[in-house]
Order: sequence, then C-alpha cells, then structure tokens
Amino acid sequence: MLVIRPLLETDLDDLYVMAQNAGKGLTTLPADRALLERKINHARETFNQRCAPEAGLYLFALEDTDLGQCVGISGIQARVGLDEVFYNYRLSVTVNASRELGVHVRTPTLHLSNDMTDTTEICSLLLSDSHRGGGNGLLLSRCRFLYLDSFRKHFSDKVFAEMRGVSDKEGRNPLWDALGSQFFDMEFSEADMLSGLGNKSFIAELMPKYPIYVPMLPDAARAVIGRVHDNTAPALKMLQAEGFNFNGLVDIFDGGPVVEAFVHNIRTVRESVHRHVLISRKAVDLDVATSERVMISNLSFRDFRVTTIPAHCIGPDTVSVPKEVADVLLVESGDQVRLAPLRDAGPQIVAAKG
Amino acid sequence: MWLVRPVQREDLRSVLDISGEQGARLSSTLPKQEAAVAGKIEHSMRSFAGQLDAGESARFLFVLENTDTATIHGVAGIDARAGNGQPFYNYRRDALIHASHELGVSRRVEVLYPSHALTDMTQLCAFAIDPDLRGKEPFELLARARLMFVAENRDRFSNRMVVEIQGVQASDGSVPFWDSLGRHFFNMDFDTADKHSGLLSRTFIAELMPPNPIYVTLLSAAAKEALGQPHALSLPSWELLQQEGFQAGCYLDIFDAGPVLEARTDSLRTLVTSRKTTLHASHGDEGETCLISAGRGEDFRCTLTGLGESVKAEVKVPVKTWKLLSRSAGDEVRIAPL
Repeated sequence: MLVIRPLLETDLDDLYVMAQNAGKGLTTLPADRALLERKINHARETFNQRCAPEAGLYLFALEDTDLGQCVGISGIQARVGLDEVFYNYRLSVTVNASRELGVHVRTPTLHLSNDMTDTTEICSLLLSDSHRGGGNGLLLSRCRFLYLDSFRKHFSDKVFAEMRGVSDKEGRNPLWDALGSQFFDMEFSEADMLSGLGNKSFIAELMPKYPIYVPMLPDAARAVIGRVHDNTAPALKMLQAEGFNFNGLVDIFDGGPVVEAFVHNIRTVRESVHRHVLISRKAVDLDVATSERVMISNLSFRDFRVTTIPAHCIGPDTVSVPKEVADVLLVESGDQVRLAPLRDAGPQIVAAKG
Repeated sequence: MWLVRPVQREDLRSVLDISGEQGARLSSTLPKQEAAVAGKIEHSMRSFAGQLDAGESARFLFVLENTDTATIHGVAGIDARAGNGQPFYNYRRDALIHASHELGVSRRVEVLYPSHALTDMTQLCAFAIDPDLRGKEPFELLARARLMFVAENRDRFSNRMVVEIQGVQASDGSVPFWDSLGRHFFNMDFDTADKHSGLLSRTFIAELMPPNPIYVTLLSAAAKEALGQPHALSLPSWELLQQEGFQAGCYLDIFDAGPVLEARTDSLRTLVTSRKTTLHASHGDEGETCLISAGRGEDFRCTLTGLGESVKAEVKVPVKTWKLLSRSAGDEVRIAPL
C-alpha cells in the first residue's frame, strides 16, 4: 500500500538516493546529506509543534508499505521570506504614450518584489522513478491541500508554488545568462545549487534592484520569462486543474512562473467531504484504476496520513474501509476522515455520493 | 572678412540651409522646420533686445557672416538656462558595487540615472557650421564669440556652463545608443524621433523616456561603446571646447549618449584672457590675430583682427575692423588671443 505520512529521521537514506537521482533543477532538495538531515529535523520539530508556526516546514513522505521504503516526498513551507528575504520579479507593463507623437508603446518590465513574503509555499515535490504513474504523483501533490485546509490557521489564506524554469541539457538558462550572470559571475547551475543550500537571498542581494525593461534583453531570454521546464509541464497542468494561476511573478534566476491559489478555492479542498469510518470485515479490492480511487486522510496534525481507496467505499454518512487501511490511517471506527478525488476526471465520485 | 553677429529675421533662409545640412540630432540643436527656426530667431531677437516676458529664459542665436559675400556660413547659440524653464534631461553615468560579504564577491555595476542636475545652467548649443570651415579660424571665431558675449554680459549667465557634444551615429544615420534604448519606448527610429523633437521640444521627447535607471550591461555592445563618445564630426568642437576649459564629466545625452562637457564659467579661457580696451587705428593687417568684440546687446559684433601695438588700455587695429564692429576710435572693445 502507498501511504502519505510525515517524513521521519529514518527516511534519510532513501531521501538522499532520491535527491541524487533527481539531478540539478530541484533546488529545494540538493543531494547534500547534512542539509537533508537538517530539513528532516526541521520537519520533525514542525509536526511536533516545537517551532514557531511561521517557521514550519511540513515534509511528507510517500511510503511503499510493502517495501518499507520512502519513494516520494512533498512539502509545505508555512511562510516564506520571514527569516530571509524572498525575491521575485513581477512582470508588469510600462506604457509610453503620447497623443502628439501618435505613440502608445507597451513595455514589459520586470520589477524586483518581495510580494510573496509571509505566504505559504508548496514545494519539494519528488517522486522516485520506480513509482511514477498510477496517480502517485497526484497523491503526493494533492495530499498537501487536504492538510492545508484541515489546519488552516497554520498557513496563509493563499498558497503558491514556484515552477522550475527552462534550462537546456547543460543546465544553462538564457535569462540567467542575459541578466543574472551580468551581476553575479557564476553559471546558472552553480547559482541554483547555492540557492538550494540556503544562499538564495545572498545572491538575490547582488541582483539588479531597478526595473529591467524586457525589450532590452536578448530574444532567447525574453522567450523563457514565465515559461516552465518541459519536465515541469505536467506539474503545472496539475496545479492549474486545482485552480492555481500564474500570478505575474517569475523566478529571479530562471524566469520560471509562480502560480498561486486561495486555499478555499483549491479544487481538492472544495470537493472534499468528511465521513465517519466504518471498519468493514468484507475484503475490498484496493487495486482499482486511478480514476476510481479517492484520497482518504485522517485529521491528525502530528501524524497526518493519506492513502487511496476505491470511490465506491463512500457511503452517505460513513466510509467503509478494510482494517489494514484503517490501521495505516491510524483511525478506528467512528473517527472522522476526509475524502477527495484523486484524479481531475473524477470529481463527481465524491460529490455524487455526498 | 568673418563676422559673428546676432541673428536677424532676414537670416531665416540661410539658417534653414545650414540646419538642413546636419544629420538627425535629437539634442538641443537647431530645428529643421521653418516655423520652428523662425520662432527661434524671434526669441533670440527679443533676448538680445532685452524684451523677454517675465519667466521666459534668454536664448541667444548668433550667425557667422562672410561680409565680402554677405553670406551666412554658421550658427551658434547660448541658452541662458539649460531646459529653458523645463527640466533638462541627461543620464548620469554612475556605479554601484554589488557585494556580498557572505559569498565573498563584489562587482562594479554601471548604471545610467536620469538626471535634471544640469537644468538652469548656461548651455552652449545649436552649433552648426559650413563643413569647409571646420577646424579653421572662422570656426574658432564662431565658437568663441559666444564666450566673448558671455564675458560682456556675465551677470546674465550662470556660474557653470554645459555643452552637449553629438554622440556616435553610423553612416546610415542609425544611432546605436538610441537603437538599444530609446527605440524600444517610441517604436521609431532616431530620424523620426528627431523630426518630432524639432516640432515639439527636447524635453517633451525626454519625458517619454523610461523614468528608471538603466543598467549599462544590458545595452548592446555598440551602445556601450558609444557611451560618452563624440561623433567624428564633433571632434573639432570637442577639442576646441577642451582647450577652452570644458571637461567631460559623468553626464551623457539621453538620446545618443554623447558626452556633456562642463566648466566653471569664470575659468573659461576666453573669460580669463579677454580684456576691455580702447580702440585705436593701426596701419596694415600685420600682428597676431585675435578675437575682438564690441557691444553687449543687439549691437554685439565679434570678428578676427590683426592686432597691432597693444598698450595697457588701448589697442591698435585696422580701420576695416572698426567698420565691422560699427565702432570708431576711442570706443570700448574686448579682445582675446586665439
């Protein structure tokens, strides 16, 4: 069975292997053992409520219970930009107009901003190649929305994600080459790595503070502003299906877009329902198509668990689950759980029976 | 003989001919449109006559005349206050150090800041001359006659003076700095913008330029190279002005990035070396050539003359020079060495 649970100290080895295989581009999870260990400890502190709520880093593991192995990870950063400065470029428009000259020219302009400060970020999604497909990526990503909504007071009303920008096989990014590197003598991959190690705001402080008029940049650089890496396109599509939209901000290094949504508007949240657990003695075939499955989560802040069950288990007031599912969710008969569709195609599954 | 005198209404056609020979030029130089030039001449005449309305700033325009043929071969101007009551736009070329102690790096970043700092300083402007005369004595006469006028009317001008030198322009008329910057905001080439600037005003165009500082590193290579560089045709002016005491500072033209030269008015060579003296007759043309001027308003005249004997308070010059200056023995004149 595949279960979402808080990340544990014992996941370090699995996490390190995953980070190594992921290669460049995943700035929030570099293959650095000490750093990963710090992140795990930070997450443990967070779930155990031993750190300030705004400093929280919620990291979830996707565990394959048959293998006893962590095969994926996803995260929520409670607030960004509080202990360091969080930078983006805002892509806005400057208009130059003169009736006398018959001139009306729109100039896209990048303004350095800290607009996402104090906002919740979803981050650090990584799924090992062996477990791609079968809705595992969806589970890993969407389980966070159930958590966000179940514990709203720990997060901001709005949540955002930074999408990875375009880079070529050598890890070069044309916006970095045209802009960032002019101010900071470094290859994109190196800057990217440094920012993963927590030096992003140092680098950002070396970046240009005045607005950048986009037409002054070379074509190749202009073309990648607001664009995502091909590998990230599915993730963007998934978030768009949840109601996330480009908010006009882009990454200061690679130009990747920032997408955001209000938690109460996220589709998973809107279409979720609560039910009481009824442990059924009947055997249930859990191995059904992704479109037939729904997410089911407990309501525990400390020991949040999510897995998937066939949609037909949901009744008008209860959800019948086999004992093994109740066990991994740490729930008993009568406990409340939350359910939401796993796939975009299946919103009616829950709604129709609700 | 060569004579510099205030422009007159009848000079309109000649001035237009001269301004028409210039390439496109967005800076505070001569317009090419007849109505605009006529307006400029009127304004100059009122400035010389001291008939300006309250709040109007003085703009003087001089012409270089060949008195033998009664033809005009050059124009030069002084704006008492750069911007003429409007903001005078320039870029200030400045540097920022982008440094991080944590990362142990530091980099010098050049920035062009829009500036109005030179507004209201006296500006030498509108210089245009018959190409055949470039670098010769009449050229120096036309350029420096203005400073003789300033010396004569010191209280009408500010303590610091500026001159814009035309920037780099390719032989096809394109201006690399404009193409890399201004063009994006106007969607028009330099030539077209120049035409508009002649009809409206330089400030009008300048106000449509981006209000934020510009990072030099984002300019094209050709534009970067052009920063603070004079047009090849401006080199004689540049050299003459440097001898006079003007120096390039950190200001650049916002359209073509040509240098803006600055000087303290009282340190200019013409002001330091010129002196008032009394006119007397000499026989013949021999002696060192020098600048000589008379008058301080509409009657201002400046020419070159062979300087005969010069005693403390009087100077002996040929009588034909008297005629040019409309002066006679015993009258006061100003002389300065070339």
